[in-house]
Amino acid sequence: MSKVDMKTPAGLLHSLVCRITEKKEDDVSPQFQYALRVLGSHFTPSVESDEFQLAERIKRKLVKQRREGDAARFAELHRKLQSNNVVKNRWAILYLLYNLSHGPDRPGIKITAGEALFGQGLPTDATSTPFHHVPGMPGPLRTPMPSGGDTTGSSGISSIHTADRSDPTPTPQSFPASYGPTPGITPAQAVAQRQALGNRLALSLSSRQPHLGNGDMSVATVPSGRGTASLSLRPGADNTSFELSEAALLRDVLFVFQGINGKIIKMSSTADRFLIDPKVGVPQSWRDLLGKLSELGWLHNKIRKFVDSKISDRALGLVGQSFCAALQHELTEYYRLVAVLDAQVQQDQDLGVSVGSGGGLTLRRLVVWSYEPLQRLKTLACLVDSCKGKKGGALASVVHSYMQTGDPSLRSLVKHTLNVVSQPIWEIMEQWIYEGDLEDNYQEYFVASDPTVKEERLWHDKYSLRKSMIPAFITREQADKILLIGKTINFIRQVCQDRSPLKTKAVVKTGEAEEEGDLFTRDVDGSLQQVIDTAYRETSRILLDILHTKYKFMDHLKAMRRYLLLGQGDFIRHLMDLLEPDLNKPASTLYLHNLTGILETAIRATNAQFDDPDILKRIDVRLLEVSPGDCGWDVFSLDYHVDGPISTVFTPETKIQYLRVFNFLWRAKRMEYTLTEIWKDQMTINKLLLKTVPELATLLHRCHTLLSEMVHFINQMQYYITFEVLECSWDELWKKVKESPDLDHVIASHQVFLEDIIKHCLLDDESRELLTQLRTIFDLIIKFQSAENTMYKKAEEEMNLRLRFLRRIQENTEKGKWGVTELDEEEERTRMEEFRDKFLSKTTSQLRVISQSYQDMVQNFLLMLNEHSDPSLRFLSFRLDFNGHYHQREPKLNRSLSVSYARTRQRSGKEF
Amino acid sequence: MPREIITLQLGQCGNQIGMEFWKQLCMEHGISPEGILEDYATEGTDRKDVFFYQADDEHYIPRSVLLDLEPRVINTILNSPYANLYNPENIYMSTHGGGAGNNWASGYAQGEKVQEEVFDIIDREADGSDSLEGFVVCHSIAGGTGSGMGSYMIEKLNDRFPKKLIQTYSVFPNQDEISDVVVQPYNSLLTLKRLTQNADCVVVLDNTALNRIAVDRLHIQNPSFSQINSLVSTIMSTSTTTLRYPGYMNNDLIGLIASLIPTPRLHFLMTGYTPLTTDQKAASVRKTTVLDVMRRLLQPKNMMVSTDRIRHINHCFISILNIIQGEVDPTQVHKSLQRIRERKLAQFIPWGPASIQVALSRKSPYVQSAHRVSGLMLANHTSISSLFERCLKQYDKLRKREAFLEQFRKENVFKDNLDELDNSREVVQKLVDEYHAATRPDYISWGAQEAAEGRS
Repeated sequence: MSKVDMKTPAGLLHSLVCRITEKKEDDVSPQFQYALRVLGSHFTPSVESDEFQLAERIKRKLVKQRREGDAARFAELHRKLQSNNVVKNRWAILYLLYNLSHGPDRPGIKITAGEALFGQGLPTDATSTPFHHVPGMPGPLRTPMPSGGDTTGSSGISSIHTADRSDPTPTPQSFPASYGPTPGITPAQAVAQRQALGNRLALSLSSRQPHLGNGDMSVATVPSGRGTASLSLRPGADNTSFELSEAALLRDVLFVFQGINGKIIKMSSTADRFLIDPKVGVPQSWRDLLGKLSELGWLHNKIRKFVDSKISDRALGLVGQSFCAALQHELTEYYRLVAVLDAQVQQDQDLGVSVGSGGGLTLRRLVVWSYEPLQRLKTLACLVDSCKGKKGGALASVVHSYMQTGDPSLRSLVKHTLNVVSQPIWEIMEQWIYEGDLEDNYQEYFVASDPTVKEERLWHDKYSLRKSMIPAFITREQADKILLIGKTINFIRQVCQDRSPLKTKAVVKTGEAEEEGDLFTRDVDGSLQQVIDTAYRETSRILLDILHTKYKFMDHLKAMRRYLLLGQGDFIRHLMDLLEPDLNKPASTLYLHNLTGILETAIRATNAQFDDPDILKRIDVRLLEVSPGDCGWDVFSLDYHVDGPISTVFTPETKIQYLRVFNFLWRAKRMEYTLTEIWKDQMTINKLLLKTVPELATLLHRCHTLLSEMVHFINQMQYYITFEVLECSWDELWKKVKESPDLDHVIASHQVFLEDIIKHCLLDDESRELLTQLRTIFDLIIKFQSAENTMYKKAEEEMNLRLRFLRRIQENTEKGKWGVTELDEEEERTRMEEFRDKFLSKTTSQLRVISQSYQDMVQNFLLMLNEHSDPSLRFLSFRLDFNGHYHQREPKLNRSLSVSYARTRQRSGKEF
Repeated sequence: MPREIITLQLGQCGNQIGMEFWKQLCMEHGISPEGILEDYATEGTDRKDVFFYQADDEHYIPRSVLLDLEPRVINTILNSPYANLYNPENIYMSTHGGGAGNNWASGYAQGEKVQEEVFDIIDREADGSDSLEGFVVCHSIAGGTGSGMGSYMIEKLNDRFPKKLIQTYSVFPNQDEISDVVVQPYNSLLTLKRLTQNADCVVVLDNTALNRIAVDRLHIQNPSFSQINSLVSTIMSTSTTTLRYPGYMNNDLIGLIASLIPTPRLHFLMTGYTPLTTDQKAASVRKTTVLDVMRRLLQPKNMMVSTDRIRHINHCFISILNIIQGEVDPTQVHKSLQRIRERKLAQFIPWGPASIQVALSRKSPYVQSAHRVSGLMLANHTSISSLFERCLKQYDKLRKREAFLEQFRKENVFKDNLDELDNSREVVQKLVDEYHAATRPDYISWGAQEAAEGRS
């Protein structure tokens, strides 16, 4: 080493060192080595490489020193330099010059330019040993052989600091002087102090830069970094004389590599690091190297400890076990390296190759060779730290987060680990998406099942996503789909009782390339998505097929519409015919079995009889809760029994919704029914009455027109329900159900269908007032019916009396007597007058009241409709007043109608 | 089966259109001319029971009674492939076979004579149904049997089944050509009185308009009876589709007509149909949407009643029911209604709420049609009164001359006097007046004036 070739950079450096230190060539070896190391380490300056900022700083400095002229000149020169591309590292040069310029000016420090150069040029390591740079403690710079072993920047912490430098505020100088070891302090104390410092440093780092890509890593590696760094940082305290051969140290280091105490390097349990026996004389530079190398041992121990502690821990779960296995595998690889190194040392010894010469193993070489394993172990140690206490998918997610590194070798390491770690997840998943089995004894998988849930709720409640366990490489959508696939299979098996083998796997396999390939890469190249998609399509298709064929889902849906939504008009009509006498009675007198019998009759007599017997036997009568004053009409309801898989769609909640809709439709239908009955009565009685009781004509005409108004209202209401509510929603539902890729979609569209109907049938909260108004209108119709019936009864009586009177006249005439006596005639006249004056006027006024309040109610109803937020309800008002009859009478209505009319025009303008 | 309808076919015209009607129904329900369900007719969603019942051997028999005073037409039926369709016990032909000689009075008198036999048939049919909805009478008002016997039957049905509906499909004579039946005005007037007083609903089939449509719209130079009758059968079958293919609404005859007829006498309905096709499959590649159909239905040229536009009366719709068949997007219905209202395509009564009702009905899967959507309109329009006015005018012309009354005087009704004719004229005149009144806002209190007049 003494004979240095002057032409190599090393030679030049050597002579430079000689020149600076003004020592002889042979005496400068330590300094030379130091300088070499400094140059060999790739650290970056402490400041951002921002040329502009630097130039500004220089200018500011010049101005501060009252050298404005120089500042201007500098600016000028700098500009020239910038415009001219000869110099490439302008920033570096400026930085050098800048540092040179203030070096000697530092107050209280008397160092040579050379020392300044060296000192300032070593910024990277600064924070790991900040006290060296604290003003007043320039120790490492003053001693020719500074404790610069920590400048290698190989530890994780230093690299973090490099990044940290992007933040210009923290400078090493800001640390208070008290951090430095005070003279007289014992080594142990000093160590403890440093330890504390390390922790604080780590804390400050992590808190300052929480967003830093691998925040975890910095925390994880700080202790180890400290371990190595602090190993050599004991200026003056340790024996630095040469006592041991490098070979002995190498052997020791190899032990340390395996986490075993060597002869002089021993694990200190108090300091949690390897320490060199202070009594043994080891040169400082070696101490530094040893410190670095012993980091490997520390890392190894950390990983080893984790693996050993967890390998038998059942609670860790399969993923955890795989993780341990992966770590074990890496350690084995590492042991192989150590073995090779060991062999090398042995060989060197056997051959007698002197350490340091030629191809033999040296500490320095070891540092180089162990660089890669160090990185690997460091990463693994980070993983160990972050994965502590995690399991299953969460663990896989953590491992996956380490994939975000630019280093390809580390990336492949993490990827490999991830493959191993996620293996159990894939296996569970495979089992799940192909068979529906959830073999997840350790709750590691992201699908959770609740064993307490019964079959009826299987689809809705049994399975859920365990969000924390979704591996980061599976998106939420994918997870949802995976959940759905397994759920579907379970549904097919348990609820649909279908045990036929699923062929999903075969379908997926044929769709997929032959090779299983790297499991993890599935995510990357999208084949995972493909597998999920195919499995999802296939299982959903099978389920829907089963529902459609075996369980006749569509038929049930149609049955719901036909019976609960009154679609089977002839049946409903006949049912009403048959039920009418019963339903007119008070609700409390109804007997379910009577009604059920009537239902049977109605089914048999109408087209309902052609329906599937399975569907027919599900139709049943249900009486709602009776409140006082209810009549049969109020409480009667049809019911439809569902069970098995179908009840997953027609849940008890949806059935309640159906019943509500049924109740509404039933009432409306009853009105239609009542009105046609009145109409029929009017038509038939009219023909009879008017002949004998002509004075009824006015009254009857009133009745007719009022009735026709009511018929119009109810019919338009019914048409609205048919077209704007039922038909359209049904159309939509039918389309959607046909296109539904899975059961969830079916359930959702069915729900939408029901909600739409409920909303448009005025059954939601928003329309409560409207519904009340409508009910009042319905009540008025009933009132009208009873008023008419009374009137007809009375009129018929009158008619019969008159007819009898006429008949008597006829009979008497035939017998040859006088037709009537005076008395009889008088009696007849008074009765007729009484009928005309009392009954007629009373009924007329009664009818007028009904008619007036009916019209008011309808107008109110229309007004309310116009103000309703739902546009389709405004269409109802448009229907109800198609020829503008009401809004001619009611100016208020006129206004609001025209507004809404304009609005609908606008809308329709767009639509057409 | 509830809500059955019994059809009565009277006279030459009645039996002819009746036969076409049953032919059409058989086709639509997949029933063979022998009454046997075709193999392909398996889709059991249609209601055959309204118009048919099943014999012991399961074959379908129309609830139909065929009545005529002369055997010609019924014999044609009995020689047609459909001979075995009808229940032979339901066919009544006058024993002497002389017919009514186009004389209303003769038909009326003969009706009285044969009523017992006829009502035996009708009662049997009525007893055979669960809850009879009513009767449909097919006849013409111009001839002898259809008008005279028809009138008698309608009156009697009303007496015997006061709670049952009577709907008639009444063919009104062609006004454009000179009829060979000279007493046609008398016949029409006398029948109109019964239709006004005893029927609940009269679907007016105006031969004038039917011929015009055949010539103008279908481009048939000299339309034959069968071509006209196929038009009629289309109308008849379509107007009953909602009964035969049950849906949410309009499942019974009464519901159907209750919404169309606001007051008892205003029960004369006109019809319109679109698109009209001919036998020679005119390749009309028109786009048929709901709006198109509804708009076309409102055009007078598609109406099967020829009415005169009278300037001083603002004729209007009392009610409209459109029965639309085919592939219809229900969401289109509302839009179409909106359009019609915006464009004011239909003029409605000023005295009450009125609107276009739309019934969507299924189409028979067994009958192929070139059109995606087709529509029938049943409308109650005040301008139908012009038809009655025409009748009155023609009647007055004849009556002034006391022409051709000898035939009438021979029969019982007119033995003593011609009061029946005068009375009928009064009834029809009142009907015309009421229709005119219905065009005015004060119709709401129309009865009042009437009553006042009656009392004074």
